[in-house]
Amino acid sequence: MDSAIVIRHLAKEYGAVVAVEDLSLTVPKGAMFGFLGPNGSGKSTTIGCLTGLLDPSGGEMEILGERFTAESVGLKRRMGVMPESLGLFEPLYAHEFLAFVGRMFGLDETTTRARVTELLAALELTDSSKTLAEYSTGMRKRVAFAAAVIHAPEVLFLDEPFESIDPAGVALMKQWLRRFTEQGRTVFITSHVLETVERLCGAVAIITSPGKLVWQGDITVLAADGAIEYDGQQFRALEPLFLRLTGEHYADLKWL
Amino acid sequence: MNLKLLAHLIRLRYRLIWAKSRSRSGRIALFMAGYLLLLVALALVAAGGLGLGAMAVTAGKATATATAVLCGLFLCATVGTLILGFGLNATFADGEMRRYPLRAREREVARHLVAMLDPYWYLVVGIEFGLLIGLYLFGAAFLLTGAIALGLLYVCNYVTARLAGMVVERMVARRGGATVLMAAIMALGVAPPFLVPYLQTHAHGASAAVAWLQWTPPYGAALAMTQEGWPALWGLALIAGWTLGLGAAMVELERHPARARAASSGKLDWGSGYERAGAFLGPQNSILIGHWLRFFWRNNRFRMMYPLSLPLVGLFIYGLTRQPGVSPGPHGDLASAIGAFGIVGFIGTGQFAVNQFGYLGNGMRRYLLLPGDPAAAMRSCSYTFALLNAVTIMVGLAIWPVVVRGRFDPRTLPLLAGCSLTGMFLYLAAGLWTSLLAARRGNYYSSFGNDLSFAGNAVLIGAMMSLVFGPRIAAAYWPGAFRSEYWWVALAAAAAAAGVYWVSLDLASVCFRRRRERLVAIMEGRA
Repeated sequence: MDSAIVIRHLAKEYGAVVAVEDLSLTVPKGAMFGFLGPNGSGKSTTIGCLTGLLDPSGGEMEILGERFTAESVGLKRRMGVMPESLGLFEPLYAHEFLAFVGRMFGLDETTTRARVTELLAALELTDSSKTLAEYSTGMRKRVAFAAAVIHAPEVLFLDEPFESIDPAGVALMKQWLRRFTEQGRTVFITSHVLETVERLCGAVAIITSPGKLVWQGDITVLAADGAIEYDGQQFRALEPLFLRLTGEHYADLKWL
Repeated sequence: MNLKLLAHLIRLRYRLIWAKSRSRSGRIALFMAGYLLLLVALALVAAGGLGLGAMAVTAGKATATATAVLCGLFLCATVGTLILGFGLNATFADGEMRRYPLRAREREVARHLVAMLDPYWYLVVGIEFGLLIGLYLFGAAFLLTGAIALGLLYVCNYVTARLAGMVVERMVARRGGATVLMAAIMALGVAPPFLVPYLQTHAHGASAAVAWLQWTPPYGAALAMTQEGWPALWGLALIAGWTLGLGAAMVELERHPARARAASSGKLDWGSGYERAGAFLGPQNSILIGHWLRFFWRNNRFRMMYPLSLPLVGLFIYGLTRQPGVSPGPHGDLASAIGAFGIVGFIGTGQFAVNQFGYLGNGMRRYLLLPGDPAAAMRSCSYTFALLNAVTIMVGLAIWPVVVRGRFDPRTLPLLAGCSLTGMFLYLAAGLWTSLLAARRGNYYSSFGNDLSFAGNAVLIGAMMSLVFGPRIAAAYWPGAFRSEYWWVALAAAAAAAGVYWVSLDLASVCFRRRRERLVAIMEGRA
């Protein structure tokens, strides 16, 4: 199977602080890929490197068979990104923001307007009297999602896409993402909502701080009531596996 | 009243100020502020307060002198809070304080107390106490009632500034309100040169103004400082009355916050006029320039500053060429006009050009995700300012033949155009570097206040000052150099400045790519 994303020995350091250390990963084309890890483990830094926001300190990345750097303009046109901080221009209205993104990704004016109108209607963002600053967190997330898909990218990077979105919005986004991957496009997703990842993704990678890969594998077996075997143990859900791999534990506070 | 928690919030506010000084620019700002404060305090207590005290006693007009000084300080402090944004920062929004076990009244008190204890007010109060001590040392003031009066005046000044700030916010929220407001402020600023000669020649006007002052809080404070018995009590009552009245108005306005302006009626307005304007600098730039134009046009501060820079252009040209010491005639006027036109080249966008990304917030990240050179966002923003400045320059050139004294020499037009373009290109070049190396996260929604870094302020104020005084000083030494025969020199200077600008754009683009992570962190409030 062709690979959509290949990461080889990726490293990112901020002075003496190591955010990602020797990360190697392969994501097949058409996959819905979950990228998991505890807070501060380097997920957003990895996405930052993969989308040109950050310059890696070492290693290399390949996207859709081409070497990727921050200057890879052609590749950026084929990618959609929803950053965790959303990257919205708050004084603009949703349609103005989406039109700007669409035009910058090379869509002509007529196509841009048609797609913006359709996206706003589908995502129930039809209140055109409010600027993005006046939107709720969930609505702003929907706008950022629309900006990531407006140019129909081949690879989609979503950093915590489902947080703060209501169940109907999440269901709609999941439906779109499934159709997206059925067409052979790839979704690279980070999320803390393990149940959602378990139901949505076919494969996951789990990293721990500082950006070290501890497990990568197929999780479709969980949907069929099967179990993942690791270190001699059977795991029937993603959460216990995640906790086992990341060394996270439930602290017992006697006063609470 | 939960006094313990209130004290804790005030302590936290000072810890936050101290935390700002951890950065290099924060330390420089703190050093400068401390140094300035010390100098001002020393100068005022030593020379101002004591001097005024001596003057007041010698002239036998202690109350009148104190009234004039306190009125000036009261007005300056109020206008200063609005323009510089100091002294009104409550630091903690009501929503934030709702997390803590505080009742509505306590939250209100905490917000005002935190704002009132801003170091800015210490400066104002310090100067006022300098005056009191000066008067007291010369036997013209009563320390206890004076101190009480100044304490009351401090509260009254804060309430006045807060109320004025709220009125301003409401005005700015209305369509066209921002421009009306700035015009009013400008009129206030321009009024004294016209008013003073009028009052000097019209005695009844002057006495009416003095009579009106007798109903103001500063007069009340002056009375309480310099008089005994009933006059002192009347003075204290006057300040207390004003404080209560203004306080009630403030509370009333706080209870009825301004409604946000609904800008659209359900139909999508694509507003492609911005992109069409952007296309003036080539179709490849139209989307980004159109985006910047839209972005800045929604900013209250920009909407105030830019349209008003057009009448300001006329005022600058007229005012600078008619200052004392500027001799009429083409050569005398020309030196001042050169300075004025240099300022015209950047005045409309000056405070934005030195901190291009300051208002983007999380949006800064978006430019780096777009399929293109990330530095294109920086360059297009600078082109946007150049486009806007070009309009101001054309207005200035159209005004020049009308306001020039004596015979109009057509050769001055290319000369002054060259000066404006030189000013614009050099300022924009400097603005690129301050935007990259001294970027500061600003508040897009604030109508007033100074969001610039120390370097940004130095470039803005330094450029204005050097253009106001530089050409006149140069003309004093080399009077023969300021002649319209040398119009081509200005065009050559503009071409050289354009060269500096283009080289700066290239170098700054490389710097932008290297510093982009840092810039995103600053704009997202992580650095």
